[in-house]
Amino acid sequence: MRHHMGMSTTAPVRERTEEHEDVVEPDIPWVVIVWNDPVNLMSYVVFVLQKLFGYSKEKATRLMLDVHHRGKAVVSSGPRERAEFDVYRLHGAGLWATMQKDR
Amino acid sequence: MPATFKRVGRDRVRVRLGHDEVAVLRDLPGQLRAVLTEEGDDPVNRRLFPPAYLEPGDAERDAEYRRLMHDELVQAKLANVELVAGTLAKGSPSARRWTVDLTEEEATAWLGVLNDLRLALGVRLEITEDFDGQVDDTDPRAPAMHLLAYLGWLEEHLLEALAAT
Repeated sequence: MRHHMGMSTTAPVRERTEEHEDVVEPDIPWVVIVWNDPVNLMSYVVFVLQKLFGYSKEKATRLMLDVHHRGKAVVSSGPRERAEFDVYRLHGAGLWATMQKDR
Repeated sequence: MPATFKRVGRDRVRVRLGHDEVAVLRDLPGQLRAVLTEEGDDPVNRRLFPPAYLEPGDAERDAEYRRLMHDELVQAKLANVELVAGTLAKGSPSARRWTVDLTEEEATAWLGVLNDLRLALGVRLEITEDFDGQVDDTDPRAPAMHLLAYLGWLEEHLLEALAAT
């Protein structure tokens, strides 16, 4: 990703946990992964994660930095249909996203 | 130089470009349309429509995802192309600048089209490392690299305008 010079550094914010507290169900362990790619702008990835998932700018930025530095990040999780819908929306936005069973 | 993209009011984004810039941009929706409607399994297609599932055991699920979703993704991207082509055909030229006001939907379409164009160009140019906009002019790919850098610059400014609510 290209560096965006205007990106602000913000103190870590305690993560809200509701997003990951899905109903207890045996068939929910799917994770949606966004992979690093050399073209998408860092600011664009943050924008998309905020817009699609309603994440705060801090959380979206943290996820984007994970993608950038570690090559990938889990951006959402849930039942398979839900994960597939998230992948579909990420593909619509041009992010390189896949899903797999959480292990 | 006036800002390229600027929020005007709550739900409009004003675009101001030089005539040479508009001339370049007007060629691009048609090129993206051609890429999107091309059948086949080329690298650009694989990047714009990547698999949802990578695990070998999920191959059937991936085929099903592609069967159900591929056309919808193509249609959504084509709808963006048409919105952008429509706004590029409008606009009011003055002596030095060309100006058009975008609705939120049109501005979002511009963002999508700029990004899809850059993804397609990135694949064609075989960009594999983070591209910082620096172009080596002795490189035969230099003109396309300059276009990629320019579209990135536009996209960055559009993002800034969209964030300024």
